[in-house]
Parts: sequence; C-alpha cells; structure tokens
Amino acid sequence: MKHGFRQCMAWLHTWAGLIPGWILFAVFLTGTAAYYRGEISAWTRPDLRMEDNGPEAAMLGLRELQRIAPDATGWLIGLPTSSDPLLRLYWRPPGERRFRDGILDPATGRVAEAGRTMGGEFFYRFHFELHMPPIWGRWLVGLCAMSMLVAIISGIITHRRIFADFFTFRPGKAGHRSWLDAHNLLAVLALPYHLMITYTGLLTLMLMYMPWGMQLAYKGDQQAFIAEALSIAPPPRPARQAAPLTDLAPLVAEALRRWPETGVRRIGISFPGDANATIVLGRGDRHELAIRRRELVFSGTTGELRLATGNDAPAVQTVGVAYGLHFARFELPFLHVLFFLSGLAGTAMVGTGLVMWVAKRAPKATERRHFGLRLVETLNLGTIFGLPIAMLGFFWANRLLPGMLDHRPDWEIRIFFALWLGAYLHAALRPGRRGWAEQAGIAALLGLLLPAVNAATTRHHLGVALPAGDWLMAGMDLGFLGFGLAFALAARRLWQGADRPVATRQGGHLRERGI
Amino acid sequence: MAPLAFGLAYAGFLALALAMDRHHRDLLGGVPSRMGRLLFRGGGWMLLGLSIAPCCALWGPSFGAIAWCGLLTLAAFTLVSLTTYAPRAALLAAALLPALGLATWFRLS
Repeated sequence: MKHGFRQCMAWLHTWAGLIPGWILFAVFLTGTAAYYRGEISAWTRPDLRMEDNGPEAAMLGLRELQRIAPDATGWLIGLPTSSDPLLRLYWRPPGERRFRDGILDPATGRVAEAGRTMGGEFFYRFHFELHMPPIWGRWLVGLCAMSMLVAIISGIITHRRIFADFFTFRPGKAGHRSWLDAHNLLAVLALPYHLMITYTGLLTLMLMYMPWGMQLAYKGDQQAFIAEALSIAPPPRPARQAAPLTDLAPLVAEALRRWPETGVRRIGISFPGDANATIVLGRGDRHELAIRRRELVFSGTTGELRLATGNDAPAVQTVGVAYGLHFARFELPFLHVLFFLSGLAGTAMVGTGLVMWVAKRAPKATERRHFGLRLVETLNLGTIFGLPIAMLGFFWANRLLPGMLDHRPDWEIRIFFALWLGAYLHAALRPGRRGWAEQAGIAALLGLLLPAVNAATTRHHLGVALPAGDWLMAGMDLGFLGFGLAFALAARRLWQGADRPVATRQGGHLRERGI
Repeated sequence: MAPLAFGLAYAGFLALALAMDRHHRDLLGGVPSRMGRLLFRGGGWMLLGLSIAPCCALWGPSFGAIAWCGLLTLAAFTLVSLTTYAPRAALLAAALLPALGLATWFRLS
C-alpha cells in the first residue's frame, strides 16, 4: 500500500490512465473525428450530396423504397441536413431483424451502387463499439470511460500546483518534465471538456450499464419505458390485410408547419401496404442543445394524425442536454470547431500521459529495457501514430478502391486494420525515436497527398471546392493538409534528434496537432 | 462577436499570468509590485468575466456558456504557446485581439 493520500491518488492516476490508455486514445480520436461524421460521410460519397429535405426529397426516397423493397416490413428515410447532406434509405426485408441501407443518388433517383462505404459511420461506431460485437464493445468502452473518470479526478487531486502551473510550459527541460508540463496543460486548460465528455459519454449508455432503476420502476417492461421516456411510439402489429399507403407529401407538409425551424429528419413507415401501417415523422434536432425526440404518428392508410409524442419532464430535459453536449449535433459551425479542438486536446492528453509513463521509467543508455517497458513503448507508438495512419489510410482506400468492388465497405475497414496492425509491427521492430520519426513521416505523406488523390479521383478537389465556396469538401481537404503538415513537423523534429534516446525527446509533436 | 470574446479572454489570461512572478519575469522582467499584482489579478478576472457577454449575445445563454468554456480553453492554449515561443507577440496580442474583436463587431453591426 502506498503511503499518504496524494501518493495513493498518484498511483491510481498512473494505472487507471495507463491500462485503458490505448483504448481511450482510440476512443478519443475516433470520437473527435465523429464530430464531423456527416461531413466525412459526404466526403466519402461526394457525388451523392443533396440539399433538398422537403416533401419532394421524401417522395423521392419513398418511390425508391417502393421499387427496391415493396414487401419490406419497415422503411426508414433519413432526410439530408447541411452537415449531413445525404438521403439515407433503410428497409427491413420480411423475415429479417436488421435493416439494410443505402444512399439515394439524387441524379438517378436510385440507391447508389458504386462506391459503397461506411464513411463517417465507421469512426462513429468504432468510437463506442471498437468494431467488436456491439455488446462487448460498449461494455469495454464503458469500463475504459469509467477508468478515465477515475483518472481525471485522481489526476486533479495529484496535481499539486494547478493554479501555480496554469500557464507553465517548459519545452526545453530534460526527461519527463516537459511531457508533464504538456500533459498538465492539455488536461487543466480543457478540464471542463474532459469531465463533460467522459461523464456524458457514460450517460449515453447508462441504460445498458445500470438498467436496474428502469427495470424496477417499469417492472421490467422496457417498451413502456422507451415509449414514455424516449418518446418513441410502440410499433404497430400488422393486420395482414393489404391497404394502399396514404400520400406522404401532405404529412411532411403538416410536420414542417409544426416545426418550421427544425424540419423533418426521419420518416419511418411500419408495415407499408398493410391496413395497420403507421407513418412516423421525427423532428430534426439540430437547433437546440437538448436532444429530445419529437414524433408525429400518422395512420398509414388514412393519413390521420394519431399521436404527437414528446416529453418535457425535467429528467428527460437533463438527459437531453447531456446527450446534446456529447453528440454536439447542433448546427453551429464555430462551436463544432471548438468541440473538435477540445477533442484533439483530450486525445493529446491521453497520448502525452502514455508517453510520459515511458519517459519517467526510461533506463539509462547502458541498462537493458525490460519487457514491460518495451511493450508499452510499442503500444504507444502503434496507437499514437499508428491510428492516425490507419484513419488516413481509410480515406485513401475510399478513393482508390474500385467503385463496384464486392463488399467494398469491408475492404476499407480491412485496410484500416491492416495499416494499424502494420504500425504495431513496425513499432515492435523499430524501437526508439527512429521508429517514431518514420511513422510520423508516413502519416505526413498520407495526409499531405490525400488532397492530391482526391483531385485525381473526383471532381470535388480544392481547385473546384474553394472557388465554389464548397466548404464541406474544401474543409476536409484542408484538414488533411493541416494534419499532414503537423505530422511533417513532428517527423522532422523527431528525425533531427533520432540519435538521442527516446526518453529525452522534447515535447511538442502533439501540441502541433492543431491545439 | 466571437473574436471579441476570444480577445477579452486572452487579455484576461495574460493579465492573470502577469500577476504571477515567473511569467511576469519572462514577459516584462522583474516582479510585480503588490499593487500591480492586485491590479493584474483583478483586471484579469474582470476581463474573463466580461468575455462571456459576447458569447451569450451571439449564441444565447445555453450555447453561449458552452462556447465560452471552449473559447477560454482556446485562449489559454494560445497564450501558453505564444508566451513559450513568441513572448513579445504574446504581449502585443493582448492589445490587438480585443481591438480586432471590437472592429469586427462594429463592422458587422
């Protein structure tokens, strides 16, 4: 047992931070990318973007669903928004539990066949499922997030001089000192964000982690809880009698009249063509902080309004605000940038913490490095630079894989994991600063050349996007350039000092990543 | 108005830093007098407090408060980077940024 409260907390901070650290780094980085999930999805399918989200777009989606899945038991249309400008279609074939999905090509009015990709959804889902079976991934991420919360609070207790060192950064100092400065700065200056994002992240999956309150209050009837708390109408039962679907356009017009600012985001149709069909219109949630569901439920045959859901109870409001803070879906571009930068600060905080663990324990040049240290070093390099390499590689794969390749989305993900695994192997084979320099160089090349690859493969490159004021495409390309440049600076700096042992490396490369 | 909030927050943090011996020595040389320290500290907190006003005016109370937290973080990072790598620019920016913020505000309104 360690002596004294502070030493005890320092011990807790070290291990609660290190053990889940690599997963936390990945969760932070992919989550930060997921702030631009819609934009990433649009960048990966630039020709499918559309702006219209009124009744005509809804009709376009409906006609295509009627054509490709007339006997489906459920249809769902996701209408475009300015930051997620794709019209998504989902349908559930009879006898299947899961929905299939596609994106409507506005040029043809058909589901696009070429260039299928998971786009931003991949990073978004990876952020809380780690590409594992959802239940396992969510529990693992939840445990890591809990550990993160413990690390944040024990870190605050451990940090003796929060105010005295508030502005202190000494990049020239030897050993782990400047890493400690960088870690402290990244943690303290963005502390409100770190606490908020970790806590609200746990809240988003609270019903899975702690279902007992709900089970007790609703006597195990989860449907009743969902209907009441989340304002999701219970699904109808099919009558097994055919009846034509009512016209959708007036229903959308009615919803737009009720929600002039937010518009309609989702259209769900249960049992189309059945006498008991229902049409549910879901409100957009991009104009207020609290994410709360509001739905209009219509009869699918007569078009009569049956129910307007929505719950303003204080608990629902509170959870809605927590969700709103975590997802940051609101359409305020400047706030989005702030969240993105804060997310990068969080990523860098975890990264500097991991590097510091090694820097603190680095043996003298003559001593042998024991296995634990080598393992942590390898995992550090393979995660901190390997994951950005894999993520940039995902975008390369998106542009370079043949459009009609079978299982194309899976191939993109395979390339992502192959690159990441390669980074770990490289890290194991090339210990020390040289390995870091090489991976930073690869990441720099991948980032800097990506706009060129985009220019060679699409008509939406910077030369077109910038003059046209197409900030979505231009912003993504400029972002890649920015990350490439930051990695190039890091690579140069690491290369220059490559003869020195890794432990005395000076702080900086993480700070250069746009923070 | 976002540049104004950022400028005020930056100036506020700089004043708070100048109230501390180490940063005062690095930026201006010497240590502040007792009076100077109080002035820097009071002025710094006042500027930080003021910087929430443009945020709320621009984005309303709820989004404004969130944007304010983010801007404070950004301003503090900017200050630390400048004082470390370009100390003279750090002082200059404290005067320039709020002025620039005011200018953009007047131009817009």
